[in-house]
Amino acid sequence: MSKAKKETTAQSSHKAPAVFTIKISPIRLLSFFMLTLGLIALAISIVYASSILAFIGLGLTFWGTLTLYITTEKYVKQTLLDPSIMPSLANLDRILTELEYQGKGIYLPPNYFKDLETSKVYIPKKKDANVPKPEEIQQKADKTFLKNPEAALVIPPGSSLLKLFEKTLGKSFTKANLEYLQQNLPRLFIEDLEIAENLEIQMKPAILAQKVADSVSAIQFKNDTIYVKITNSLYDSVCKEARSLKHICGSIGCPICSAIACAIAKASGKPVTIEKTESTEDGKVIEAYYRIIEE
Amino acid sequence: MNFPLSFWDISLWLAVTAIILLITSELISSYYGKTNILINKKRLKNAALITGILFLITVAIRIYGIITLP
Repeated sequence: MSKAKKETTAQSSHKAPAVFTIKISPIRLLSFFMLTLGLIALAISIVYASSILAFIGLGLTFWGTLTLYITTEKYVKQTLLDPSIMPSLANLDRILTELEYQGKGIYLPPNYFKDLETSKVYIPKKKDANVPKPEEIQQKADKTFLKNPEAALVIPPGSSLLKLFEKTLGKSFTKANLEYLQQNLPRLFIEDLEIAENLEIQMKPAILAQKVADSVSAIQFKNDTIYVKITNSLYDSVCKEARSLKHICGSIGCPICSAIACAIAKASGKPVTIEKTESTEDGKVIEAYYRIIEE
Repeated sequence: MNFPLSFWDISLWLAVTAIILLITSELISSYYGKTNILINKKRLKNAALITGILFLITVAIRIYGIITLP
């Protein structure tokens, strides 16, 4: 038997038999049963002029249709979330630690890239490095490690979450402002995506921030601070575990903090850093302070 | 062979159903904390609102009838 013939035989042995199988869940089956029973009851009620049967029929038809309409979306267990996220965060932290990157992650706004939907975080090698100019980044946007000055340009852990936020709200954050975020992110987190039980966003303008920070540098005086408080989020255990990762918790942020930083950078059109993140012992309350850097 | 329910019977049925749905959708709202009910809450809310609006339409028809009746 030739090699090609053997392969064909092997492939055909793995083929499933050509039988149509329709998978119906018990809830859907029950809904269809209620719907059918309701329609039959309605028909009989017309024949026998019975109002009781008509009420029963109307109820069964309505609830049958309703249960079909409000069927569950696809859900996954929360315990699956942490193991799927942590390795990539640990990897990123390990790479940055081994390469001795000490700078704080700077979330760059869309004007740094040719594609306005791009979200990237710039991590300088030195601790007190300046914010790069848009022209510098635009030329090297497709590279991960930059030279002169040495820095890393990586896709942040929350970039996909940000895309999901934009898709759910039906608006790109490049066309929005900070007030839009303040008004819509809580509803998105609590009601639409059910990521957290509560989300609080407070804008602290430059003058207020100046009063709070007495011993900060002159550059920080000009900058706005945004305070975000997330209560009982799905990512609480990720955030708790990420606390041990130096580059993640204090610089780039866990997926949820990172996604908010991306959103602020996109909406404000200015570079953003995560100044500080704090969480309670059990990780139920996460507080993050973002700083908008004036270019 | 007529449908045995009158317009007002259906109005009453709509009112009862709307109340049940509106209370349920409010109780399982995410604003009162996470619930373990795996249903599409947005769709339930929409269904509750639509049923409520339908009931209000029947009320409006009734009021219009009372006003325009000689």
